[in-house]
Amino acid sequence: MKLLIYYLIFPGFLFASVVGLLTVWLDRKVSARVQWRYGPPWYQGFADIGKLLYKEVIVPEEAFGSGFIAAPLFGLASVTLAITILCISFFGISEGFIGDIIVVWYLLAIPAIALIYIGSVSGNPLSSVGVSREIKLLLSYDLPMVIVIVMLASKAGSFSINGIMEWQRINGSNISNWYGIIAFIVAIFCIQAKLGRIPFDLAEAETELGSGILLELSGGVLAAYELSKAMMLFGLPMFLIILFWGKGIIGGILMYLLIVVLLILIKNTNPRVRIDHAMKYFWGWMSGAAILAAILAHLGA
Amino acid sequence: MSNKKNEKVMKDLKKKLKNKIIDIAQPREKRIYISVEPEKTPEVVEYLFYKYRCKLCTATGIDMREGIEIIYHLAKEDKNMVINVKTLIPYSKLEIESIGKKIKAFRWIEREINEMLGVTFRGHPDMRRLILADSFPEGKYPLRKSFKNSDVTDEDYDYERSGI
Amino acid sequence: MDILKKSFKKSIWVFHLSTAACNNCDIEVLELLTPKYDVERFGIKLVGSPRHADALLVCGSVNAHAKPRFLEVYRQTPKPCLVVAFGSCGCSSGIFRDSYSIVGPVDKVLKEEDPDAKIVYIPGCPPKPEAMIEGIIKGLEAI
Repeated sequence: MKLLIYYLIFPGFLFASVVGLLTVWLDRKVSARVQWRYGPPWYQGFADIGKLLYKEVIVPEEAFGSGFIAAPLFGLASVTLAITILCISFFGISEGFIGDIIVVWYLLAIPAIALIYIGSVSGNPLSSVGVSREIKLLLSYDLPMVIVIVMLASKAGSFSINGIMEWQRINGSNISNWYGIIAFIVAIFCIQAKLGRIPFDLAEAETELGSGILLELSGGVLAAYELSKAMMLFGLPMFLIILFWGKGIIGGILMYLLIVVLLILIKNTNPRVRIDHAMKYFWGWMSGAAILAAILAHLGA
Repeated sequence: MSNKKNEKVMKDLKKKLKNKIIDIAQPREKRIYISVEPEKTPEVVEYLFYKYRCKLCTATGIDMREGIEIIYHLAKEDKNMVINVKTLIPYSKLEIESIGKKIKAFRWIEREINEMLGVTFRGHPDMRRLILADSFPEGKYPLRKSFKNSDVTDEDYDYERSGI
Repeated sequence: MDILKKSFKKSIWVFHLSTAACNNCDIEVLELLTPKYDVERFGIKLVGSPRHADALLVCGSVNAHAKPRFLEVYRQTPKPCLVVAFGSCGCSSGIFRDSYSIVGPVDKVLKEEDPDAKIVYIPGCPPKPEAMIEGIIKGLEAI
């Protein structure tokens, strides 16, 4: 019973969706201000989801109907579960289990796989181009991030979220060391690619493919996808806070705002990259920087 | 200085094409107008295109009272001139041999003259509609002087042929 | 359901469709997103697929080529949706009224497919951006 309350209300579905949609509003408002415009009002995220629930769902003839509707709901459920596991340990509600940081990272990869599935069953040739790009991007950004996670977990001596946070309370946050700063920069770019934002939005929604993978979604199915994207915008900075700050709640909120503003500024100042540029970038520079950080961590800097 | 070069062109053409053309004139320094009969037009144009090394600019068709006049505009770039080959095709027999079956550059403009003015090009390899919709009714030619906009009403459009 | 209908008015996603237009109205549509006439504060954004759209912005009057394709895009848009006939060519056919290949202005073509479609008329050649914003807001009040 208690688990159901954790999953659905706090810190699960309701809490994460409200904070996630407010973060989406913050993103659009700051982007508008950077371009010298006004932006949308604070309830814009909620209005978008409500509007999408009001419209009808059209399933095209060539698409595989049940998979089409089930896949975004599956992605939504796994993001909620990942955020529940993260926030239970962060807010100190109960203990986690050993290995839960790896579980969380791979639960957060399921929305991308759901997206690949949607693109494949849509029955549209433009969607399949988006699918091939998304698969390549998924393989690219996984490598540097896993190097960073394994390095920080082995430095802390345990693979559980509580263990990493305890170690940082005793020995100081990871970000206050040299290896921490380099790893933080690597992690920021990896989650920008995971969220599918500019400069790495070549798979999801883009004007050169007529919205790419999402071409055939409409109505409630699109609402589930947009909601899971908003919740990822809350969950991934929380993941970084646990890895790099790990101390208290007040500092955590400030760090959250810092990470979100960094993501917004990267989005507004860059063009979109090609897929071969992105693969070279992640497997070349970013992996090299992550290995450098691992060497520095081992030497104790 | 340039006048001498252009007169050389005119004399050259008069000598080589003597018995195929009706008339040749040079009203301005950089323009030559050659009038030909419809049956001899492909030979003259092919001679100018291959041996004389001219390039096709465009071809125009206009509805005169006696028939349809087609002018092929060919450019001679090294001498900086445009050579125009005119034919008048009578209404009684609106046909001409297609140049497009040998030279690819002429294919699209012949498709357009065919659908807008109704001239038949014999032997054209790919006679489809170019700029009119596929659902436009057959037998009506918009650029003729006898065409009125009220000739085509909404019921004449046949959307089955548009391929959606 | 009432709150969902209220939120429909607060976020309209627009798909831009150009049928036989001279491209003047297309350029004016892009002007609405610039900082001077910022239209994102009403929740309006441009999307890339008709399946995500709530409003179809039809520029130009409808050609014989474009008529079956325009009706196909209208069928692919999830209802309820709004159709905006943009410019003089969309409302009546403008100066191309008697041409041999213009089939009709937007409302004449659309009434064959769906007699109670909701159409907003914005006249002008091209319409001023202030006229466009006023037209969109009047259309939102009528839903």
